Amino acid sequence: MAPHQAELKVVGTRAPRVDARERVTGEAIYPADLDLPGMVHAKLLRSPHAHARIRGIDTSRAAALKGVLAVVTAADFPELPVGATIPMGELGYDMWMVAQVNLARHKVHWVGQPVAGVAAVDAHVAEAALALIEVDYEPLEPVLDIAAAMRPDAPLLHDHVFTKGMEPRPRVPSNVCSRVVITRGDASRALSEAAATAQASVKVDTAHQGYLEPQVTVAQVDANGFATVWASTQGQFTTELMIARMLGLPQSKLKVVPLEIGGGFGGKIAIHGEAVAVRLAQKCRRPVKLLLTREEVLQGGSGPAAGALIDITVGADREGRLVAIDGTYRMDAGGLPGLSPSLLMQASAALYQCPNLNLVGFDIVTNKPRTEAYRGPGGIQAAFAMEQAMDALCQRLDMDPLEFRKRNASVTGSTMPIGTPFPSIGLTTILDSVGEHPCWTDPLPKGRHPRGRGLALGYWRGTSMTSAAHITIAGDGRPMVTMGAVDLSGTRTTMAQVVAEELGLPLDDIHIQTGDSKSVGYSDGAAGSRVARTTTAALVEACADALGQLRKRAAEKLQRRPEDLDYAAGRFHARDAGGPAITLPELMQATLTDGAVVGRGVSTKLPLGVEIGAHVCDVEVDTDTGLVTVLRYTAFQDVGLALNPAAVEGQIEGSVVQGLGWALMEGFDYAPDGRLRNASLLDYRMPTALDVPKIDCVIVETPVPGVPYGVRGVGEVPIVPPAAAVANATARATGVRVWQMPMTPERVLRALRSGSLSS
Amino acid sequence: MKTLVTCTVNGEERTVLADSRDTLLELLRERLRLTGTKEGCSNGNCGTCTVLMDGVPVNACLVLALEAPGCAITTIEGLSDGAALHPIQQALVDHGGTQCGFCTPGIVLSAKALLDANPRPTDADIRHAIAGNLCRCTGYGKIVEAIAAVVAAARER
Repeated sequence: MAPHQAELKVVGTRAPRVDARERVTGEAIYPADLDLPGMVHAKLLRSPHAHARIRGIDTSRAAALKGVLAVVTAADFPELPVGATIPMGELGYDMWMVAQVNLARHKVHWVGQPVAGVAAVDAHVAEAALALIEVDYEPLEPVLDIAAAMRPDAPLLHDHVFTKGMEPRPRVPSNVCSRVVITRGDASRALSEAAATAQASVKVDTAHQGYLEPQVTVAQVDANGFATVWASTQGQFTTELMIARMLGLPQSKLKVVPLEIGGGFGGKIAIHGEAVAVRLAQKCRRPVKLLLTREEVLQGGSGPAAGALIDITVGADREGRLVAIDGTYRMDAGGLPGLSPSLLMQASAALYQCPNLNLVGFDIVTNKPRTEAYRGPGGIQAAFAMEQAMDALCQRLDMDPLEFRKRNASVTGSTMPIGTPFPSIGLTTILDSVGEHPCWTDPLPKGRHPRGRGLALGYWRGTSMTSAAHITIAGDGRPMVTMGAVDLSGTRTTMAQVVAEELGLPLDDIHIQTGDSKSVGYSDGAAGSRVARTTTAALVEACADALGQLRKRAAEKLQRRPEDLDYAAGRFHARDAGGPAITLPELMQATLTDGAVVGRGVSTKLPLGVEIGAHVCDVEVDTDTGLVTVLRYTAFQDVGLALNPAAVEGQIEGSVVQGLGWALMEGFDYAPDGRLRNASLLDYRMPTALDVPKIDCVIVETPVPGVPYGVRGVGEVPIVPPAAAVANATARATGVRVWQMPMTPERVLRALRSGSLSS
Repeated sequence: MKTLVTCTVNGEERTVLADSRDTLLELLRERLRLTGTKEGCSNGNCGTCTVLMDGVPVNACLVLALEAPGCAITTIEGLSDGAALHPIQQALVDHGGTQCGFCTPGIVLSAKALLDANPRPTDADIRHAIAGNLCRCTGYGKIVEAIAAVVAAARER
């Protein structure tokens, strides 16, 4: 187990990124940078319809175009049955759906869903060939929003989808894919008897993860049929499984190499054309590059995050003690069934001790792009409703919102919404530090327009799943670390710090890399705030394994029993006074012919490192234009232990700004035919450096028992509170709540003009 | 149609055969294999492909290759000599101003153009100068901090 925090030498320092140099010089290699000999270019033909049956596809004219090397449709792949799954952590991944995202079969369910792929000598020819593919569509009536999809007479997207979570099992298919109910006590009775109640009914627009690097794949198939795929992916093993299953390819014939990834945030867990690129490469026997354009990324080529309709009612007694939470969560999954709403429902209510709960959630399909995970998936949408309801309740009770949270805060051991006791959490510590911080105690400076200060909490459960790593000790005693985790933004650095700490070596001595899917043990994708925690656990085990092997060799050389040796800072020495010693370089030189020293480690089912944050934000609301300006923003977060405070701050700051983007400017705007009207980064506005203030971070450390170094997840929860924090600040500035996210100037202005406080 | 294009790239005169449809970005990435300049949107909206054209930051995706003759282009590859990093690059390393790294080359060049024109910018000037460069990972704070640190260090000298 890890040394005590006070004794740490490398873990906990603000070490610069071990891979920063290649980033600032442009030397870092992303898949788009690859140029293989003979490489050709692929393009995907996408559906112009939101909902249509495919009666037939004629590719003959495209195939005949000069310069075209291969054309594929779903007919070039084995048809996977509904319900075919591949392993992925605690849940499987539905391969039927993955196949639909890569190439539609029989029906299209959103504008932009791929229906065919072309490989040609250059991108211009590939583009020209797309225009020659004739798809015979039978257009069907699209269903574009949650309310329309839930109507009993709504056109059906999938005739095999029956609402899960219903007893008895429904006999007719539905656009409601699943229903989740979480109850405790009697919420409706408690609400009717409450001293005060408040309600929030919110509508959240679909938004995008917004990674700057569009999806790219380079696929090469050699003369023996072995396929190598260079991908921009959050998980090389998941990608390999998905491609293998889609193509019916033996996994011994496929390797996925994760190169640098230009942002993922949940959107690069599944594949978006990778299998098509491999099939094209098989057909034309040339390396194939498939590069999505920004418009494709936004217009149905890669999943955005779910929109939502959420209603929350909360009630409290006269002392401000919460008596009930009633919530209905309707999540818009897009064209294929989405994530279970269970986690986001639990998350929204988790931080409050409340005797009566009635939470009902629905996962709903509509004819819009299939949604995917986005940083704490569903968390910000649910918190936008829940934390506003809580704030409105404070206003009804005329109670300080921080005092209200303190009075109702979950503590270690209190009951979570699912009924089990909370593992170690530091919410009360966070709330105490908010109360003492200038961001809360400073008076709000006057401005030209109304200003307000808002508080919101966030919770995210994260996940653990599996991470593997191994450490090879080089001939000079220096460790080379290979991990299964894709490095989204700093994993190599923090994990090198862990290895340096465990082996007592300088950070510079350690080389660390992400392995491809054939050079390291199976690891789940980099998602769910799991990578740093679980890879730390795997590396602690791998270091111990390597040291055990080295100790045996040292014992032989020093002629002592292994247990009579001490190890510190790269040196074994006999415990007896004046006894001999040997350094790692000496030991490796002396035993070079004894075979490799490879320490191996794997982490599965590590205890969760739940994430908790409290955010305080000051805004000014321009009552002439409706523009909300965030003046000051402070994020408090319990991270267990910060492996690298600079990296932790980087995660928090970036996550908060993504949240502010969705809060104020980011939302998909669909035309009535299901076409996205703002499919560019000019019209889909993400925050620039001018749109946000510096984000202040306050790091709290309540270690998780049973987890090496006590590390918690970091990256997801900071996106959860920002929209609610801004909304609560706006309400306190103006007396008006917007109830719609993003809270664009237009919507704010409309709310100001109608002056309505109700939903 | 193909045309010979001659321009100065990172101080060296280069002549390449370009397709008349090529953008400056394609000329750099595909013809010259200078892949440090990244492509984020091909539409001039994200700033990822920022390079300097006669010292002025431009979106390379919005400039045609045929506009390059006679111009001096500076890309990220032209900033450090391979040994020492440019002070802006070093500051981004030291201050955690790069995460996924995809926007970083463009940010470095926008910052260079700013500091070349105004060696004493305020934080507001810095934010304005990089406002055309989207970054989805950092939230900008550590980038601004890094550039401000370069300014402060220059002032001390």
